[in-house]
Amino acid sequence: MKMTTKYWLLQALGWGAYTAVAFFFAVRAVGPRPDVIVGFALFFLYSIALTDLLRREIKRHHWLDEVSLGVVAKLFGIGAALAAFQTGLIVGISFLFVGYRSEYLTDPAMILETLWGITWLNGTWIGLYAAITRRRRQREKETRLELALREAELRALEAQINPHFLFNCLNSIRGLVTEDPKLAQDMITRFAALLRYNLHGDVGHTVPLSAEAEAVADYLALEQVRFDERLRVRFEIEPRAGAMQVPPMILQTLVENALKHGVGKLPEGGEILIQASAEPDELVLNVENTGQLAGASAAGPQIGLNNIRERLRLIYGSRAGLLLKNTDGDRVAATVRIPAAVVA
Amino acid sequence: MRALIIDDERLARVELRRLLAQHPEIEIAGEARNAEEALKLARELSPDLLFLDIQMPGMTGFDLLERLEDIPQVIFTTAYDEYALKAFEVNALDYVMKPIAPERLAAALARVRPRATLTDHPAPRLEQVFVRDGERCWIVRLPDIYLLESEGNYARVYFRNERPLIRRSLNALEAQLDPAMFFRAGRNAILNLKWIERVDLAASGSIVATLLGGRSVEISRRQSARLRELLSL
Repeated sequence: MKMTTKYWLLQALGWGAYTAVAFFFAVRAVGPRPDVIVGFALFFLYSIALTDLLRREIKRHHWLDEVSLGVVAKLFGIGAALAAFQTGLIVGISFLFVGYRSEYLTDPAMILETLWGITWLNGTWIGLYAAITRRRRQREKETRLELALREAELRALEAQINPHFLFNCLNSIRGLVTEDPKLAQDMITRFAALLRYNLHGDVGHTVPLSAEAEAVADYLALEQVRFDERLRVRFEIEPRAGAMQVPPMILQTLVENALKHGVGKLPEGGEILIQASAEPDELVLNVENTGQLAGASAAGPQIGLNNIRERLRLIYGSRAGLLLKNTDGDRVAATVRIPAAVVA
Repeated sequence: MRALIIDDERLARVELRRLLAQHPEIEIAGEARNAEEALKLARELSPDLLFLDIQMPGMTGFDLLERLEDIPQVIFTTAYDEYALKAFEVNALDYVMKPIAPERLAAALARVRPRATLTDHPAPRLEQVFVRDGERCWIVRLPDIYLLESEGNYARVYFRNERPLIRRSLNALEAQLDPAMFFRAGRNAILNLKWIERVDLAASGSIVATLLGGRSVEISRRQSARLRELLSL
């Protein structure tokens, strides 16, 4: 149930129950007089209106953010003032109907008694409202903390550049230095760019796909030096898609996965195809690689992919998704759909 | 010494070859791009030394060792101190980290012994075996093995405090063992003569050999006579 629905339901039930019982006793004492019927009906309505006004004030001034003795005193003072106002209305309405024959005027002690009762009533309302609100806020805070923690864990996971890749890469470059100094220089530059992107990546936010694709191009160029002719790479990124926002490292994780579980497992190597297309309200990323999902790897732990799924869920809820499947008999495709958001 | 370089990355092989140029005692007999190729080359060339990458497409370096009947000296070349290497009981000098530091390579090479030349024995002699038991693995030198027991098509290898299974039959193993070191105790066991602490006569007339460490093995009747001869009892 939505918060506001619940609030109005509780308001109606609370004031309704009190009014009904008080009305029952009044009718028993003096019979179903018009002043009694109208008085109680109006009491029900303006009590809800007045306490709702009080709720708006509490929210506007953030009185419940930090509950001190001062706040408690202030709230109960307001409760008592409201009670005085409500009592005034009760007496006024009674006077309008029966004039000086009103019980409140013939027996002024009844005014005090009414005031006392309603003050307690308003006090109870304030106490309940504060308790419910604070409990809800506590829960929200816990949920937020949990989410933040999860996000931090994911960040730590993603920020890790695969050490196996790192050292193999350095080793290859060492080999290149004598064999092809120009290529070695180029690889060092790409290596630096990739490291910078990985270290600097602000994982909490999204980045334009073009920036992510650039890092992936560096990564794959380095892997191509390692894999030699065993790795072929193709990029098909629509210009419009390049401007769209993606969570950083998403494409890189997909490509790493394609390499690690696909092409890397094949002694003869294969191809990785990276596609991105902009659809009317979503961005579709597709990473294909040579290979097939075997029974084991299809069902086995997919740490990288589960990580992506989790991040997509945190950022986009159910509006994004990842699908991994065999295509064409000799290729595996990982497809991610992300709600469209373009760089401002 | 003849060495085989096994690495899926061409540049890694190039780099290692370049580093090995400083060590003229090492002759590079061949290069393999994956474990499949390496298996073939190792059988053809029977090298003294393997430079073995662990992570390769298809078979890993460990898979390769498991398939090789005869394990030469091995220096693992690895990019990262992988958990696989931690599960493996290798001495720090049995592996080098990539990129390889020349001094580190020299230190590892200094420990490598050339394969014993056994010209008087025509059949190939095992010097060490590769053993894998679940997550753990070892390269065990034969003198450390005190007992081999048959378990179906497998053999249980006893060394130090370990007793893992190896995927070879006792008969296949026996053909490659040095008869001066290993003795067939019966249908189900081979023991290392150097590990015998004491022998006792059993009531049946056969011999019970007690090995260092306390394990005793009953010798079959037929083999008892031979053992007596060997130990000149």
